[in-house]
Amino acid sequence: MKDKIKLALAQISSKRENKEANLQKIENLTFKAKEQGADIIVFPELSLTGYVVRDQFYELAETIPGPTVERVEALAKKTGLHVIFGMPELSMKTRATIFNTAVFVGPKGLIGKYRKMYLPTHSVFEEKRYFRPGYQTTMFQTDLGNIGLCICYDLFFPEVLRLIRLKGAQLIVCISASPAVRRGYFEILTCARALENTAYLAYVNLVGVEDGLQFWGGSRLVSPAGDVLAKAKYDEEDFLTCKVDYGDLKTAETFIPTLKDLRPELFDKLKEYSELL
Amino acid sequence: MKLTPSVLEMDFSEAQNRICRFIREYVENVGAKGVMLGLSGGIDSATIAALSSLAVGGDNVLALMLPEKENFNQKDIDDAKVVADKFKVQTQICDMSSVLESFYNSIPLFDPKDRLCKGNIKARTRMVYLYYYGNKLNRIVCGSSDKSETMMGYFTKWGDMAADITPIMDLYKTQVRKLAVHLGIPEELALKPSTPALWPDQTAENELGIKYETLDLILYGLERFMASEEIASQLFIDKLIVEKVKVRWLANEHKRRNPIAPKMGYRTVGNDFRLPRHTY
Repeated sequence: MKDKIKLALAQISSKRENKEANLQKIENLTFKAKEQGADIIVFPELSLTGYVVRDQFYELAETIPGPTVERVEALAKKTGLHVIFGMPELSMKTRATIFNTAVFVGPKGLIGKYRKMYLPTHSVFEEKRYFRPGYQTTMFQTDLGNIGLCICYDLFFPEVLRLIRLKGAQLIVCISASPAVRRGYFEILTCARALENTAYLAYVNLVGVEDGLQFWGGSRLVSPAGDVLAKAKYDEEDFLTCKVDYGDLKTAETFIPTLKDLRPELFDKLKEYSELL
Repeated sequence: MKLTPSVLEMDFSEAQNRICRFIREYVENVGAKGVMLGLSGGIDSATIAALSSLAVGGDNVLALMLPEKENFNQKDIDDAKVVADKFKVQTQICDMSSVLESFYNSIPLFDPKDRLCKGNIKARTRMVYLYYYGNKLNRIVCGSSDKSETMMGYFTKWGDMAADITPIMDLYKTQVRKLAVHLGIPEELALKPSTPALWPDQTAENELGIKYETLDLILYGLERFMASEEIASQLFIDKLIVEKVKVRWLANEHKRRNPIAPKMGYRTVGNDFRLPRHTY
């Protein structure tokens, strides 16, 4: 396993309903990331289709594996890179059950997927109308380290990232489609989640305007001490690479020993009281 | 939450950037050649002209000035010209007087004393001009409704609200005024009394019966689910004033929505036919 990796944050705007155009963008940027020596490239939530496609999700969703994932597998194999991107996933067992999924592909094929657990259905969001929530947090042991996945609104729930961290994740990747009016929350939460878990957190957000909803970008890599190590532009497409050094985890964990100081008995109380809310 | 004027403060540079990006992307995405707007000499349309020019360039913005003899006001025309010159937008004047006369004369039921019904003809006629130009020149029609008017239903159904985009509809009037000054629109114009110009000497604040400074704070509180009592107590005003605003806001939802149809089919337009707008 590598102790240092180079990460590419691909902050793109998606062409809504145009999977071919978005796949081409994913391919072009993955080749660009390879040229720049990256090990892994991350694209935003639902970057395959765009975020505001409403009823068209029923036409656009694909199974995993499926045509899109096969194409990204071929891309990963050709470039030797790992690729994370977001897409609407159609259940293998039904015709209209869809998940908001982060897909993780490596040079040897599909590594795994994460189905978004917390689906915002308030304000401008209508995810529960279309998606079934996931029921599992995920962490993958890969050649690039232990990597966990989460999606956008999951960041508001510290237990999701804590679970991912307790499963062993050293780098947590959060793909997102966050609108501009919520920028302030995410700027705080990305740092807080990294710091409280003493883990690297890579956040990749969508940009562009979809049905009046403006996505703010600002993708970033946050250190295990909560420092923003790299940050993409606000509101515009951007591409940047940054380095993750797992060696820094020990320094962070000794100085900020939140994992050592965990109190498991509180989690029982948390369960008890959350059921009574 | 404290209901003070400071809650309506915002970063106007950020607001300008976001609105300009919204206009620019919309125009590009639908393949239009630019923007059409009505320029009345009032603050909302002046702000829209400025934002549109900053978004897509003045050469791609055509502002129609639509005077008519009953309501003719040289000052408004002059103010409109000041804005058009400053932001280098193209202008054209269409005198609506003869069209309006024809309308009045052709309606057997027409009642010249009913100024509201008559005034609404003016607002809807302006819409017809704007859409003719938009259609002919492949430009989107940019509406200039603000949040205060929209929430209060203070507009003509299928008239001034008819547009392809409404870039300042999520800003209260007092915010629009500040944005206007930030954009470089003369303060005198930004602070002059708003009017829909449907009849002579009509002003919005007289008709609404409340100052925008107070109205906007009431609406801000309602937007955030505050109780009428709480709003009234914080603003040191009678609860009846807040209630009156609330009733008007709720009663006008029909003006803000598409026409309603009885549910008959599998998916219904305007109801559960939920499609994205302008994918590309």
